[in-house]
Amino acid sequence: MTTATKEYWRWKEYNWHDETMDPKGADTITAGVDIGSVSSQAVVMVNGELYAYSNMRTGSDSPDSARKAMNWALEGTGLKPDDIHYTVGTGYGRVNVPFADRAITEIACHARGGNMMYGSTVRTILDMGGQDCKAIHCDERGKVTNFLMNDKCAAGTGRGMEVFADLLNVSIEDVGDLSLAVDEEPPPVSSTCVVFAKSEASSLLREGWSTNRVLAAYCSAMAHRVVSLLERIGVEKDFAITGGIAKNSGVATRLEKELNLVSLKSKYDTQIAGALGGALFAKALVEKQRKKGG
Amino acid sequence: MFTKFHEWYKNRHDYARAWREQNDGEVVGCFCSYVPEELIYAAGLLPVRVLGSHEPQDVTEPHIFGMFCPFCRDVLAQGLKGRYNYLKGIVLAQSCLHLRQAFTSWRNHVPADFAHYIYFPNKVQTKHAYSYYHGELVKFRKALEEWIGRAISDDSIKAAAELYNENRRLMREVYELRKAANPPLTGLEAMIMVASSYFVDKKDHNAELKRILPELKSRTLERETGGRLMIVGSENDDTEFVQMVESVGATVVVDDHCTGSRYFWNATEFSGDVMQDIANRYIDRPPCPTKDWEERSRFPHVLQLAREYNVDGVILIQQKFCDPHECDMVPLKELLNNNDLPTLFLEFDVTVPVGQFRIRVEAFLEMLGVEELF
Repeated sequence: MTTATKEYWRWKEYNWHDETMDPKGADTITAGVDIGSVSSQAVVMVNGELYAYSNMRTGSDSPDSARKAMNWALEGTGLKPDDIHYTVGTGYGRVNVPFADRAITEIACHARGGNMMYGSTVRTILDMGGQDCKAIHCDERGKVTNFLMNDKCAAGTGRGMEVFADLLNVSIEDVGDLSLAVDEEPPPVSSTCVVFAKSEASSLLREGWSTNRVLAAYCSAMAHRVVSLLERIGVEKDFAITGGIAKNSGVATRLEKELNLVSLKSKYDTQIAGALGGALFAKALVEKQRKKGG
Repeated sequence: MFTKFHEWYKNRHDYARAWREQNDGEVVGCFCSYVPEELIYAAGLLPVRVLGSHEPQDVTEPHIFGMFCPFCRDVLAQGLKGRYNYLKGIVLAQSCLHLRQAFTSWRNHVPADFAHYIYFPNKVQTKHAYSYYHGELVKFRKALEEWIGRAISDDSIKAAAELYNENRRLMREVYELRKAANPPLTGLEAMIMVASSYFVDKKDHNAELKRILPELKSRTLERETGGRLMIVGSENDDTEFVQMVESVGATVVVDDHCTGSRYFWNATEFSGDVMQDIANRYIDRPPCPTKDWEERSRFPHVLQLAREYNVDGVILIQQKFCDPHECDMVPLKELLNNNDLPTLFLEFDVTVPVGQFRIRVEAFLEMLGVEELF
């Protein structure tokens, strides 16, 4: 007997490269590899332009995830890992990227990547990742001027969303839109702890709440919690959201409403911000190294 | 070069037991850096500080509220687990409620022949504090005399105060060397030097300090100094944390902790009445936040240290639920930030989540821009 179980939390992994570009013989080919707690990205830049990237789930072995992400980003490009001049590792597993030339924190990398993705006017970046949230202030170069991280709690993060997608049998990609498809905004769930919120959601379902209404109550609580993190550091305009949760319209829209401002949108994938920043730092670092004659 | 201090700190209980056998005297546990250790020492006893062990434990739950600080629980756990079972006496000088709870619980549940509570005035910013604390010292001296069964002479008190002064002077001399562009010692070594001084006979500690000082002055460390950091806040003997900070491109060059610089920063000035002189020393020392009102006199002191030691940034640490320090954090952060000193705030528990703190510290160093990444 087999039971077909859909893994609602499982988001699509993908890779991409720019077929119009020819990386052969470029001055700088640099990479950023962001090994997060939930997802990993590898970004390859050619002369400071985005050339290729991949986005996949992090496995239990960080070095292995790093290699896989990099190989997948390079798939079909004709480039080999050895063609990359400089690699920066970032994210939770930043020190476990075996082929990286150095590690830089995802805080610095999100600010640097956000600067390219959203332009130099961005001053506040909210990185909503797989297992934590970071509020980052940066200057016109994308250099961090201040930051704040949430403490020891998965609220408002991708992992929490995955738990809810599974509980409610809703594909993770649909959580945001469905949460907005309610006639009236319900009160937020009272607990922001993922485990407690989950049991609260179960009882709401038993009370007859629709799935969308429960999603709305959860997304709204998450948005509220993240706003309180942002308010501790202050929100300076322009404001942008990076990381996986930026793709969740249910949280992003409610966040904007509560903050009473609109976040910048980008043509780039919000999940690659960290790896992109890493590849940009890699470019600056390899150029500096060459100048020194290293 | 700091091996002896490391050994003493690591084997502090063995040291105390051995001292007791060799010196025909008892060991007394001090619960706060406001305890006038000189008087205990003058009585032929060895004062040692009661500190936690930074290990998770489950023995204090029935005795201390969950919203009291992790340090006071860690301290009490040491008593309940018998780690300090060589202590014959314990002394607390009033500082905060949390540590007082650890003391009173210890007194109730851990056998000791002598337990003395010193009513250290919380208001030190008044001239009455000097005479008040003098009175407390007289009472404490009398209690000690009754316990040991003999008088403590003024001369022995003066000698102890001089010995303590020498220890303070020598440790300040070591701290002075940290002002150098490339300090000859790490923050971890400095922390262990001070931490070992709470446990070791000051005669031994002074001898070791005198032995290393000439060598230390010409010592060059095989490491980059990196970002120059100051650490400010609650009780802190968290060597694991400092070690982590110094492994990611920084050096801790100065601190303001009761377990660090505040413990030895000022000396006793002698004017004739040694009991009053000692009282004055404790009233005038760089204060704990519990004592620092109405003026926050500690703030200019912290700022001056930051400048003298040329720090790039300040890590503000607070033991979770440490109300006195928590109240100071907002204005202290503002003061430092307004003086171009960036700050990183971290909340400490019995064990530190090294990975979570590491990213914050690394990002802080990147923010300080010690290395140009652009």
